[in-house]
Amino acid sequence: MPENGGYMVAAYVAAAVIYLSYAVYLVRQGAKQGRGGSERLGP
Amino acid sequence: MTPTEPAERALRRTVPWIAVALALVAVVYVRALVCTPVEAVQGPAQKIFYIHVPSAWVAFLAFGIVGVTSVVYLFIKDPRLDLFAACAAEVGMVFTTAVLVTGPIWGKPIWGTWWTWDARLTLTLFLWFVIMAYLVLRGAVSEPGQRARYSAVLGILGALLVPFIHVSVYLFRTMHPLPVVLRPGRPTLPGAMLVTLLLGFAVFTFLFVALLRYRYLLARLADVRTQAEAERADA
Repeated sequence: MPENGGYMVAAYVAAAVIYLSYAVYLVRQGAKQGRGGSERLGP
Repeated sequence: MTPTEPAERALRRTVPWIAVALALVAVVYVRALVCTPVEAVQGPAQKIFYIHVPSAWVAFLAFGIVGVTSVVYLFIKDPRLDLFAACAAEVGMVFTTAVLVTGPIWGKPIWGTWWTWDARLTLTLFLWFVIMAYLVLRGAVSEPGQRARYSAVLGILGALLVPFIHVSVYLFRTMHPLPVVLRPGRPTLPGAMLVTLLLGFAVFTFLFVALLRYRYLLARLADVRTQAEAERADA
């Protein structure tokens, strides 16, 4: 069996970073809006 | 009660959805890494499949939603549909990015290369660029009606790529594997692997729903606030 577990770990970490970063970004934006920030969001 | 309070409450109520969805993603990780057998030929790298394929499914679902809501918007011109399509595109972009990152990491040990200009990979990258253009366009056009119309047309064009990407492995000579679940006939995976994959589909779909709901409520809250400020200024 090939020894390629490092690639598996790298992919799982990369996906976790992408999803977690976006979720944290959204919740932070929500907290800003909740405090009355009038910053215009993307769409 | 201020005009923004209901939207703020709905936003706060959606945070636990995201937390639960992320916790369930952790469950998928544990199930895939610990409880699912290692594939004999590809070795541990094959387990990238359990995050790569559900991410791709959600990306296609997101752009399907963008396409349908954009078509309906062009008929009934409800700005909420335009906003919903934009939010689905942004969240779909995140899932497509995950597909385009995990795919090459899987490809390197199995194909011997990070990237090849094969039909499915190239079309998926093209979809990523179309959606990037969609999001940039929305920031560049300030008149709301015009922005919504242009975005709807680009959103529909992006969504049209989705079925084409799915069947590209049948239409062209490609290194990318054929579908193992969404295919004619029965799924070709052994039981334990199929259960992990189906769990991944369900959990990543729930994560998408939670993120999309939050993103949409956030955009609505910004709209309500802008409207309330405009009314205060007029008064």
